[in-house]
Amino acid sequence: MEQVERLLKRTLPFQVVSPETLDGIAEISRHEVFKAGEVIYGAGQPAEEVYVLVSGRVAHRIDPDIKARVHEKELQVGDVFGWAAILEGEKVRLADVACIEAAEVLKIDGARLLELLRKDVNFGEAALKSFSQLISQQYYLPPSVSERVPTTLSKVGDTRTPASNEAEPQTASAWTLTMYRAGEWLRSPDPYLMMVGFALMLGFWYLTVEVLKLPRFEDLPGLTTVVKEWFAEDPVYGMSIYTAEYYQHIWVSIRRVAIAFLLATALGVPLGLFLGWSRSFREYVFPVFELLRPIPILAWVPLAIIMFSGSETPVIFLTFLASFFATALNTMLGVESIDESYTRAACCLGANRWQVFKEVIVPGSMPYVFTGLQISVGVAWFSLVAGEMVSGQYGLGYVINTSYTMVRYPTIIIGMVTLGIVGYTTSAMVRVAGNYMMQWRLREMALGGR
Amino acid sequence: MASAQHGAMAPITSKIAISAGEMIVSNVCKSYGTGLFEKKVVKDCSFNVERGKLTVMIGPSGCGKSTLIKLLAGFEKPTTGNILLNGKPVTGPGRDRLVVFQESALFPWMTSYDNIMYGPIARGEDDKKARDLAEFLLDKVGLRDFRSKYPMQLSGGMQRRAELARAMINNPEVMILDEPFRGLDAMSKELMWEYYSALYEESRRTTFFVTTDIDEALFLADRLIIMSNIPTRVRATIEVDIPRPRKLADFFLGDRANEVKMTALSLLHEEAMRSFAGGSKAAADFVESYARRSQRA
Ligand SMILES: Nc1ncnc2c1ncn2[C@@H]1O[C@H](COP(=O)(O)OP(=O)(O)O)[C@@H](O)[C@H]1O
Ligand SMILES: [Mg+2]
Repeated sequence: MEQVERLLKRTLPFQVVSPETLDGIAEISRHEVFKAGEVIYGAGQPAEEVYVLVSGRVAHRIDPDIKARVHEKELQVGDVFGWAAILEGEKVRLADVACIEAAEVLKIDGARLLELLRKDVNFGEAALKSFSQLISQQYYLPPSVSERVPTTLSKVGDTRTPASNEAEPQTASAWTLTMYRAGEWLRSPDPYLMMVGFALMLGFWYLTVEVLKLPRFEDLPGLTTVVKEWFAEDPVYGMSIYTAEYYQHIWVSIRRVAIAFLLATALGVPLGLFLGWSRSFREYVFPVFELLRPIPILAWVPLAIIMFSGSETPVIFLTFLASFFATALNTMLGVESIDESYTRAACCLGANRWQVFKEVIVPGSMPYVFTGLQISVGVAWFSLVAGEMVSGQYGLGYVINTSYTMVRYPTIIIGMVTLGIVGYTTSAMVRVAGNYMMQWRLREMALGGR
Repeated sequence: MASAQHGAMAPITSKIAISAGEMIVSNVCKSYGTGLFEKKVVKDCSFNVERGKLTVMIGPSGCGKSTLIKLLAGFEKPTTGNILLNGKPVTGPGRDRLVVFQESALFPWMTSYDNIMYGPIARGEDDKKARDLAEFLLDKVGLRDFRSKYPMQLSGGMQRRAELARAMINNPEVMILDEPFRGLDAMSKELMWEYYSALYEESRRTTFFVTTDIDEALFLADRLIIMSNIPTRVRATIEVDIPRPRKLADFFLGDRANEVKMTALSLLHEEAMRSFAGGSKAAADFVESYARRSQRA
């Protein structure tokens, strides 16, 4: 069944339909095998089923009387034929179809197919459109037939209007897919649960601090105080979304993280690749690496200040350090994760050691590298704040620390929340960039593995 | 109907100059570990992979066939004995042999086309000739429309065909295939047999083909080597002197085919029973599938 679905997914008309519809179509599909030379159907026979070519070679000849511009063609694996079964009006085969080589096909009942597409409110229409385009484009049908090609589901005898009439009629583009996912997400309980989560947290804060004034909570800045301060044009403690200072702190922190992250990536990825690739290199370097890695960032602060002058470089160094270890380690794991059969295959095909590195090790470890980069941005923010609290000027960590010493409690919370938002955004950006750059990986996930 | 239009496709030999090699395996032993932990996998194995013939090796699973292939490929060295390719000892992996390992897979980060072109590109032979050949093979294996798809987007059968094309685009003297049709359902498997045997009949490249499926072995083989259970050695060699081109439709109706099949099955059955006594799971599976097959035969 799964295999049938995967096959269907590869045909033009069924690429766009929703998973449930695909399930349904797979369920009504029957697998059949024809021998070389066998006739699948002949013109004039009643047409009930639509076919999908799974393997083999099939010749398709439209009855010359119909005067289609393309009347003889060889069908390709994945082609859909037998579409006479979904034409409007009399359902009669318009073509002779026979196997040049043994062929496997899926047979799908035309009426039930339309039924299923009709049930697919979002994509049924788009699928049908893509289907009809395919039919008209591939065969250049004369008006007598092309007029009967159904272009909208509502014409096929149902009164319900599909919700998305203006849905892009072509195959699933990245945009429709994204919109589809967004729609799915909104329809799932996730966003509402998320809101409930936030509401609970804020409610707890408000209640404990401002309403109940519980013993250990009463000194904390309350929800309303913080929100008022944050959005005040003239903030009591000097920092809100209307002050330039606020953005300067954000900017300085982002700049530091960006520099540290880029440096860590530029050095960590190559180091990780070599660690994973060369056994001897690893024997020299890895023990040192493993000894330094668990040292907490705060323990590096004194050395960082001694080693680097000024207030900027020590902070960047601290931020860099944690990112670097995360990136290098994940990259190394990525290299180790590569199945030996890939390197062996490359080797058998004539690749030398360097080519194996370039063409197998590097792309093969990318999934782990990108996971590493996501972790890397996370720890970059973590160690940035540690660095900014001890050394440096400006930056969100600095804000949090000085606001504490200067008893500007609401500003502490503003700094923390901003840190959360900015940190989340940068991580999301790395994730999106990673997914974009690794399309094969994305496809694999989209198709649910092999 | 329509057959004139699609006429005969040019045979593969018109595109590739076939240079056939031959391999001689003599008295090869292979064991892993030493002392108490020594595990003998291959025990005194001798056979030839003859020039221009399709030699099929069959044996119960887990008997050591893949281990032998690693030896032929040069990724591992025999403990004793030697392996010659065109009279010269095999010392390591080489371009003269193309090995498709049992677990070898298409590179998931490359499209089918890039996968197929990998060999020529890696060797710096990415010229017009190679690209033409790639087009030709894409057609041959019916993947023309899937050239820019990634392996994950192909069905199991398509992946196997792409793997075959990736191997065939190179011009090795010996082609070594380890269960290339593993994991396919019965239907696609039979299609692949017909398909592959037609390809082989066009090129007649020296081929060493390992399988656990007796029907597959018989249908494809010029010579059948039956292996014993682990530690494996050659149990019998049968010349499958059934003329080519062969067609699956009537192949198993022939007397000679069934005669060979019965001989092979009884030998394999003996091997399976022998290790079954030892409680091997693989052997148990084999006995079971044997029972099913002999009912069918
Ligand atoms: N590197 C190895 N170390 C130890 N034992 C091995 C090694 N490689 C293979 N074997 C053993 O060799 C036996 C045969 O394996 P294999 O050659 O893969 O069998 P086949 O391909 O016939 O199914 C198995 O029992 C396996 O445990
Ligand atoms: Mg094996």
